[in-house]
Amino acid sequence: MRNALTGVERAMFWTLAFAAFAAAAAGLAARGVDRVAASYEAARSNYAIVRVLAPEGPAGIAAAEVALAQAIQVTSAAPMTAGRAAALLGGEVRAEDMPALRLIEVELTAAPAHVDVSGDLVAALAQGGVTAEVLEAPDDSSGAGLATRVRNAAFWGAIAFALVMGIIVSLAARGLAARRREMVTVMCDLGATQGETAGRIADEAAVMGLYAGLIGGVLAGVAGFAVLMLAIPGVNLDALIGMILPVDLTPIAAAPLGAAIAAGAGARAAASYFHAQAARLG
Amino acid sequence: MVRANTPEQDLFERGILARLSGVDAGYKTATVLFGIEFEARTGEVALITGPAAAGKTTFMHLLRLALQPRSGRCVILGTEVGKASARARANVKKRIGYVAENPTFIENWTAFDNIAMPLRLAGQKPRDYADDVRELVEFVGLTDAADLTVEKLSGAERHRAAIARALAAKPALILADDPTAGMSPGDGRRIVRLLAEMRRVGAGVIIASQDETLADCAPLNHWRMERGRLSPISQKASEEVEAFE
Repeated sequence: MRNALTGVERAMFWTLAFAAFAAAAAGLAARGVDRVAASYEAARSNYAIVRVLAPEGPAGIAAAEVALAQAIQVTSAAPMTAGRAAALLGGEVRAEDMPALRLIEVELTAAPAHVDVSGDLVAALAQGGVTAEVLEAPDDSSGAGLATRVRNAAFWGAIAFALVMGIIVSLAARGLAARRREMVTVMCDLGATQGETAGRIADEAAVMGLYAGLIGGVLAGVAGFAVLMLAIPGVNLDALIGMILPVDLTPIAAAPLGAAIAAGAGARAAASYFHAQAARLG
Repeated sequence: MVRANTPEQDLFERGILARLSGVDAGYKTATVLFGIEFEARTGEVALITGPAAAGKTTFMHLLRLALQPRSGRCVILGTEVGKASARARANVKKRIGYVAENPTFIENWTAFDNIAMPLRLAGQKPRDYADDVRELVEFVGLTDAADLTVEKLSGAERHRAAIARALAAKPALILADDPTAGMSPGDGRRIVRLLAEMRRVGAGVIIASQDETLADCAPLNHWRMERGRLSPISQKASEEVEAFE
């Protein structure tokens, strides 16, 4: 009988641990999506193409390169080759069929939103005697901003999933309170208030939730680490550790805390109900 | 500034542990107790006898604050329970030792730990209460079974454990609902004498039982419950009590 009771509690513990694992894993996945989307967005917004209008020919390209090299927003600038253009077009046009290009690919430093980078580049090129136009990646208002939407979806999706897991943890903890019903009845008979009784059961559930959340969080961290090792070609342990930001560990840190709070709240509610039932017969 | 006692607290200070006047009580739509008039004092033992389903257990539930009176006045340990807050009721319950007909325990705890439960709830540490609990265990004759889990105890041992638990917190009022059920007549009388001993430490004791013969095993006030009505059979001489109001 005792072993059976312990077995039920053990099953409950692993239910909590699994829910914490799932929530933490979803949180880590959301962080991964966020990091990829953020880096995509950074790469997209820090890139521009300069089309040289005058002077024409190689002299114009060379003058533009010199002017761009002196512009403070530019980290690198390179004329677009026919091969590169063909690759960007996905092989629709062969490199040898490509007309003479007057394009320069430019990588930019990150600039605050209020800075008119295109205007500054056009001015810098004009100072170097070059007439050119600058083509930047489209901003949110022109239909882009997919990365932002993906980041929001990942964040709120993970929050919603964690809430669902919290409900599961809370319901499982109500089961623990049901296992402690005889204790609730005894405590009620001995004059313990609803708060004292529910508090004791909630504390026990919260401690169980804390440990289960710790295990679930650590397992999710290990699983996330393994996935990254497999998913990033050629990455080693040191490089991977270097890539991880403290904020990426938030889901692992939140798992024990969240599981403890959800388990405590569920057990408290159930124990309060059982106490109320035991306290009043009529 | 000294705060004046309420009339209910005055009753308690005068040694009246429970006073019920004109009390009706019951469950949901069924009224079980009618016009109960009852009084219990410090150091007295009251025996409530009557046939099965006469209302004895309901009366005990009323006294242990598990039932609210439907009408009349019910003052237990200086508190009018019909008007008391949940916290005040809990405080009264902590001063009542209750032995149920079928006592509830935490089955996978030892008898010792179950008996010590009221002391743990009161915030005492094991080192502070261990000797007291051992003494209680001896007092109820449960020495050999104290370290067994409750699920392994016999019916009589469970009752002894329940009595020990009820006495652990040194309650002002002890309620025992059919504490001799399932026991031999000899064991039953021993249990009643054991409970009656508690009056020597100033507690009031109220025992409900179907067994009329228990009335002569200790000096006590004998009441009879029949069809939800309580009437005195033999009353030990007691001091005059001032008017309730």
